[in-house]
Amino acid sequence: MPNPLSRSGLDLLSRRQFLGHTGVGLGGIALAHLLHSEGKLAHAAGSSTPADPIRPPIDPLRPHAPRAPHFAPRAKNVLMIFCSGALSHLDTFDYKPELVRRDGQPMPGANQLVTFQGENGNLARPRYQFRPRGACGKMTSDLLPRIGELADDICFIHSLTSKTNTHGPGENFMATGFTLDGFPSMGAWVNYALGSENEQLPAFVAIPDPRGVPQAGTNHWAPGFLPAVFQGTSFNASRPVRFLDAPAGVSPQSDAASRDFLKLLNDRHLAQFPGDTQLAARIASYELAAKLQLSLPDVANIDAESAHTLNSYGANDANPVKAGFARNCILARRLVERGVRFVQLFNGSYAMGEGVGNWDGHKQIDQQYAIHGPILDQPAATLVADLKQRGLLEDTLVVFCTEFGRMPTFQKGASGRDHNPKGFTAWLAGAGVRAPFSYGATDEFGYQAVENVSTVYDFHATILHLLGLDHTRLSFYHNGIERRLTDVHGDVIHAMLKA
Amino acid sequence: MRRILPPHLIVLCTAIAVIARTSCAADAAPAKPVDFTHDVLPILARACFDCHGVDAQESALRLDVQQVTFAGGELFGPAIIPGDAAGSPLVQFISGAGELEMPPSGAKLTAEEVAVIRRWIDAGAEWPGPPDQPVTAPLKSDHWSLQPLAPIEPPTVNDPWVTTAVDAFILAKLHDTGLTPSPPADRRTLIRRLYFDMLGLPPTPEETAAFIADDRPQAYAELVERVLASPRYGERWAQHWLDVVRYAETSGFETNVPRENAWPYRDYVIAAFNDDKPYDQFIAEQLVGDALGETVATGFLVAGPWDQVKSPDVGLTLMQRQDELADMTNTTATALLGLTVGCARCHNHKFDPILQKDFYALQAVFAGVNHGETPWMKSDREAVDDGLRPAVSSLQNEEHFKPIEARAVRFTIAATNNGSEPCLDELEAWTAGGESDVPAKSLNIALAEHGGRPSSSGNYPDTSKHRLANLNDGKYGNDWSWIAETHGTGWAQVDFAAPQVIDRVVWGRDRLGGYADRLAVDYTIEVLGSDGEWHEVATSAMRRPHNESGVMVYAGTFAQPAEPTRRLHRGDPLSPKEPVAPDSLTVLGTLGLALDAPEQQRRIALARWIASPDNPLTARVMVNRVWQHHFGVGLVDTPSDFGANGTRPTHPELLDWLAQQFIARDWSVKELHRLIVSSNAYQQANEPREQCVAIDAGTRLLWRYPPQRLESEAIHDSVLQIAGTLDLTMGGPGWSAFEPNDNYVRVYEPKAEFGPNEWRRMIYMHRVRMRPDAIFGAFDAPDGGQVCPKRGTSITAIQALNLFNSRFMIDQAARFAVRLQTEAGAEPLAQIDRAFQLAFNRDPDATELVAAQQLIATHGLPAFCRSMLNANELMFIP
Repeated sequence: MPNPLSRSGLDLLSRRQFLGHTGVGLGGIALAHLLHSEGKLAHAAGSSTPADPIRPPIDPLRPHAPRAPHFAPRAKNVLMIFCSGALSHLDTFDYKPELVRRDGQPMPGANQLVTFQGENGNLARPRYQFRPRGACGKMTSDLLPRIGELADDICFIHSLTSKTNTHGPGENFMATGFTLDGFPSMGAWVNYALGSENEQLPAFVAIPDPRGVPQAGTNHWAPGFLPAVFQGTSFNASRPVRFLDAPAGVSPQSDAASRDFLKLLNDRHLAQFPGDTQLAARIASYELAAKLQLSLPDVANIDAESAHTLNSYGANDANPVKAGFARNCILARRLVERGVRFVQLFNGSYAMGEGVGNWDGHKQIDQQYAIHGPILDQPAATLVADLKQRGLLEDTLVVFCTEFGRMPTFQKGASGRDHNPKGFTAWLAGAGVRAPFSYGATDEFGYQAVENVSTVYDFHATILHLLGLDHTRLSFYHNGIERRLTDVHGDVIHAMLKA
Repeated sequence: MRRILPPHLIVLCTAIAVIARTSCAADAAPAKPVDFTHDVLPILARACFDCHGVDAQESALRLDVQQVTFAGGELFGPAIIPGDAAGSPLVQFISGAGELEMPPSGAKLTAEEVAVIRRWIDAGAEWPGPPDQPVTAPLKSDHWSLQPLAPIEPPTVNDPWVTTAVDAFILAKLHDTGLTPSPPADRRTLIRRLYFDMLGLPPTPEETAAFIADDRPQAYAELVERVLASPRYGERWAQHWLDVVRYAETSGFETNVPRENAWPYRDYVIAAFNDDKPYDQFIAEQLVGDALGETVATGFLVAGPWDQVKSPDVGLTLMQRQDELADMTNTTATALLGLTVGCARCHNHKFDPILQKDFYALQAVFAGVNHGETPWMKSDREAVDDGLRPAVSSLQNEEHFKPIEARAVRFTIAATNNGSEPCLDELEAWTAGGESDVPAKSLNIALAEHGGRPSSSGNYPDTSKHRLANLNDGKYGNDWSWIAETHGTGWAQVDFAAPQVIDRVVWGRDRLGGYADRLAVDYTIEVLGSDGEWHEVATSAMRRPHNESGVMVYAGTFAQPAEPTRRLHRGDPLSPKEPVAPDSLTVLGTLGLALDAPEQQRRIALARWIASPDNPLTARVMVNRVWQHHFGVGLVDTPSDFGANGTRPTHPELLDWLAQQFIARDWSVKELHRLIVSSNAYQQANEPREQCVAIDAGTRLLWRYPPQRLESEAIHDSVLQIAGTLDLTMGGPGWSAFEPNDNYVRVYEPKAEFGPNEWRRMIYMHRVRMRPDAIFGAFDAPDGGQVCPKRGTSITAIQALNLFNSRFMIDQAARFAVRLQTEAGAEPLAQIDRAFQLAFNRDPDATELVAAQQLIATHGLPAFCRSMLNANELMFIP
């Protein structure tokens, strides 16, 4: 593609110095006011108790500037792989030999059990053979063998529980800590807290599945009531950021000239309001946009990778969905590599028929998982291995999760599993994570968590902790409440942390 | 006070809000003995009872029962040792001197509170009442916003700058802080400010020129009146309200399906602002419009998300319903009262005097409210045109006719609204000569005690509640009603003791508001004249149809709750506790309703309590919202939280003065605008002055007018107006920013191309919950997931990309260019002049002119227009 850096773009880039200057004029004083007002609630709440909220100071001119964590972090950035539709823990990572033995028998008590879609039939063995994998010999299934091979680097949590058994609220809960719509996503919280190491790129990127957005859609990367500047920027390897370039019909020369004239208008206007932070920030936003026009096509240029790399991820696979997901995985690595703070990678999309676009295997789990498994396995496993091989796991926390688990029984009259929020599996890998390790356990059938029963709040608290953030204190005042990712709950799961 | 409810509803409402008028306890003389109930109990209740009280007993300790407190829990022995504060573990823990620190979360005890408890224990820990019974704290508050409005006069400030009361308050505070106001803004700035602020659009060049040229002293006041009279005003200010009530036109959650018939509520709000509907009436209609001829207004109750993914799982179903009710409860409290009751869903509020019970009492008001569609009854406001009377009400209907001497009255029903057997709770015939509520002059001669004798076509077989005698027993409500024997049809008659001249028949189906079914919608009323003939005096044909040609609207649907509301332990629907009657907040009085109060009556009572001049919050909260939108920040900058966690007003006296004016001026929002925009504080210049910035960088004290970034809607609408493409068609179904989609889980793919169908104002965009539009949504448009009393004003690179590069904006720039050619001809200088006038209401200066000419010469007019539509000067209220 043509070099989109216009003359004026370069000129704008060189104006950093000017912006730095306005930061200490009247704008600097305005900033002082802003910082002061951010601390308002600490006063309102009274004495300095350990639970005093921390609201990071945001420089309106550089809202994504790096900010200090609350304490020394184990991880600097996060790659979250989210499997939409409730990936069955029983057919992947939570090995239940009892389920094999009692295949086809009733689950004790299950005849009265009414789950999301109604009554349940008999216990159903895992749909795939489990085998020991990694040096640690962790039992994982043949559905996701390549991911299983990473077991030595993985800390599984088998005892997660959710508060809901419907997808929308469930995905909201994993994404935002609330089952309801309208709360900030975890990435937005992290962006708000820490900013980014790379100001040339968005601090928070969401990469939707080639098949479409996940079930809770943009809620996964929404800002909620946080300032919109902290929301995730959504694009993937096949769909670039919307409006990144001037539309067809506008020549680069015309584009540059329009920018120049806009800059002239804005500079003259600013002269009447010397140091006005908002006006200066708006000028800066066009500069950052110009930077994005350079950096985003560069980072999304998957074809710059070697043939070997492309093949290792599966980017040339005959299945276009798998190839597309593989290209998204490569994009994720390239973003992590460039210091993007929070990268969210989605596997599975909104419902386009039950279990068709995602992991929602209610009725015909064998047929559906046979399609979804290969799409996920090679690309995602290669991604984690590639991060490790490049040394990026030293600073990067990998989070692999889904909204809830599935039942050990088949639904009555069907060949698939219903929703199960009472026990499910997620895993962490990378910076600060204890591995190989498996934390918590479900009962003999994998029905409910019985050992080290954990909540999504605990899971979130642990992720924030690894980033050097105290989940009880990272707050934003909204409508009368000092809001947190973890509401008023959550305990860091110290057992999952590297000693 | 002007009546906001029909007289019969006022009569029915026995509840009178009693506002607790507690005074500050300023008289804390050191010698005064500590009283347990008055001094100690409120502290323990706030800080301790959540974990050591009726619901939870951590370490088997409860501090609300004397025996247990003095005996102690599992650990540490007796919590309180009478006479020995220092030795009492309770004191050690609350003062931070012991092994534990209590409470472990939430606000700690202040030093004063700890001192009170010490003195009480040292004095012997006198604990009145039975030692084995739990005590509950009387709720009181000296929080500013819960105090009644006291009369306030503007301060006397001898300064020529002060020409309005608002200015007196503002200047007094500026003087206190060593600040001075700014000189008046120039006329161009002033008209742009007023237009963007009030209408969300820039003034036209012609309007601007006329205003600048008009040097009469009343020019500005007349401009204000023109602006207030513009229909664009309601379109602008309705959006502020829609933000506060989390309005959107899809269900939310993963299905996010459209609510095709939700838009009438949006139009209702626009009309309410344009018509200057009194705010108390606006409140009442939104809570109980079904009783007030404004069904559409109850869209307020159900404007929020609704999880429509249903399951046979009982726990899930209960939680979904609880979430719905909590949404209605929270929104009502935060939008109308500025209180965050949501915290009390799980426990007593940690900071405000709101009990957990209060949350469920408020929730009980909405226990019979459901999401759904209901027949759209056009309002009285719209009725004037067609000459018809309002559609029948399930509550009470009056039929007036020429006086006629009558021996009997007969009510014949041809159809009911639901096809069931018709029901009348009372059939009254009033003698001519007075109003029904002035019995000295007019008499209901159908009444049994006046000799009326009922008969009918046949009676409902179940006579436990429904009997013929109920037709004229003088008792209202479903429990004292007559029901016919046959489905959809029947007649009832009352013969009088003696012929008399009557001119009115009054009837209802359930005047207590519990039921709206079985309603006669096709009927004829006849009287038996002294001539022995039956004369038709009224029919349903004189009324508008009960359901206008089957048009439905997304609004509240109502049913009597089957069960009383119960308090839920920690908010868990599977842990119900004691039943809770519908009520207001304990600290502010009671509605006095029974557990099983009729559904509609609950909302009527709540509406009357909120929309009351005696409610200390209602007027203050609304006045502050209006102020916020004029100046960017409210006097209280936490506009939906007037509780302890909110901020205090910068100008408390001004807030209260405005609230009183608001009430005194019949809750007129337009009067409020006049008070504010006519002030010099509003009309002053906006330039920063260094010495003032140093003192008040946030401009909270208004030493200048603070410029504000425009919201997404105003940017969109202004671009269209400047480009000359804005379609000012009002009302009706909205335009969509997304491609059509019919997947059962809706997929919202932004439209690539926009055409004339999408060039109406943005308030008419079909609002998709959780999916702000792809271009303007980036300007902090609320998503409708949670209430949004105050928008963010982010400035982001994505915004820049959207405005600079989107197809929509490039297209509008091209159309702007065409407009310039049409209006200014082919000469670039004239085109540039016209463009600056349209976009900025000023002439270009020499530098701008030269640069613009050069740009146009090299790259054409659209390239110039593209820059103009991105300029900072356009993005801020000056």
